[in-house]
Amino acid sequence: MRKSYTTLVYLLLVVVQILLCNYFHVTPYITLSILPIMILCLPLKVSTVAAMIIAFVTGLSVDFLAEGLIGINALALVPVAYVRKSLIGFVFGEDLISRGEDFSIRKNGLGEVSMAILLVQSLFLIIYIAADGAGTRPFWFNAARFGASLAAGYLVALLLVDTLVPDSRK
Amino acid sequence: MPKDRKLIPTIIAAAIFIILEVAALNMLRNNSALQGIWVSKGAHKVMSVLWGGSESIKYYFSLKKQNEALAEENFRLSEQLSRYSKVTAKPDSTFVKVEGFSYIPAEVIKVSRNKQHNYMIINKGYEDGVAARSGIITSKGVVGIIDAVEKHMSYAISFMNSDVSISARLGGEGAVGPLSWDGKKTNGAILKEIPLLYKYEKGDTVYTSGYSSIFPADIPLGIAGDSKVINGATNEIKISLFQDFTALRFVTVVYNTEMEELEALEQ
Repeated sequence: MRKSYTTLVYLLLVVVQILLCNYFHVTPYITLSILPIMILCLPLKVSTVAAMIIAFVTGLSVDFLAEGLIGINALALVPVAYVRKSLIGFVFGEDLISRGEDFSIRKNGLGEVSMAILLVQSLFLIIYIAADGAGTRPFWFNAARFGASLAAGYLVALLLVDTLVPDSRK
Repeated sequence: MPKDRKLIPTIIAAAIFIILEVAALNMLRNNSALQGIWVSKGAHKVMSVLWGGSESIKYYFSLKKQNEALAEENFRLSEQLSRYSKVTAKPDSTFVKVEGFSYIPAEVIKVSRNKQHNYMIINKGYEDGVAARSGIITSKGVVGIIDAVEKHMSYAISFMNSDVSISARLGGEGAVGPLSWDGKKTNGAILKEIPLLYKYEKGDTVYTSGYSSIFPADIPLGIAGDSKVINGATNEIKISLFQDFTALRFVTVVYNTEMEELEALEQ
């Protein structure tokens, strides 16, 4: 039941991301992506290899179905999946991984969850913005885009953590 | 065991990560000209670093072969120089005495340095043309004298041996005296029996005199340093050798092909 709920929410959020990519064009400085938080919030039972494959397929789906460069989301999302467990261990402590529990704002506090969100968003955005710019955009533009996208992504991700992590729903 | 269990999934994860990233980069490259150039540029940079690294490793491991090749080359050049000198030397020149020496390149396989009677073993023996009472030299000076010869190895008395002395000359045409190890430093020697009348300058080069039937003349050996008067009759000069015995590997065996004739004449 819980597994199918997680899968359904995940698929719905992929659709949301596709819609965001197609219709959310407020400014070129903001790249709004909920993909990093979706990967971060995958159950800890999901292995790193499985998480990477999920990230790759998700990224490619968004790339194909949204108006964008094919491969760019997959390129930026796979590293998030690769470092996911290490990052969770680093931010929330290795105990969480050894117990196989998922993190939540209620259990771990807003500070730790915020830090994890900011780290995955940063990793995703650095790769995404670098690949999107392909060395043609000035540094200040990339830096401004990174800052604005990080802030926007962080706020959206905070809202989504409650939906994505089952423990928070209780 | 637990380490192994953790290591394999880590390697698999890293491999899959690389595969997925390469696949994503490839798709990105094929679907946009701008990104294609960016990816190609990055790929070229990575490849140049990898190739550069592998070339450095290859170069490091090929140093032994290169050293051997250089030693062979050095040996050939020495022979050519020797032949050339024979042709161009004046009849009364001391270099004429080089005539009749044969050269065999060799590698030192064992050497002692911390005794008063040091020795060395080289990787050439009588089947390679080495004979007892041959000299061992390098481009930096005299190293030793062959004492015993086996099939493919030879035992030599090192110059760093208190029993060994060779005939040396101060400067190109200066006084001649016996040169022996000072018994202390790996590049220290003493040139004895230099007449007080003979004036020399610190920094003068010392060469083999060629009066010995073992070593050819004019091999540079070292530089003259301080001196002291012995018994009010001769000078004893400290020599700083060019050859440092702590860094000794490739050598050349020199054999006087006219030695038997010389000995017969002496008798």
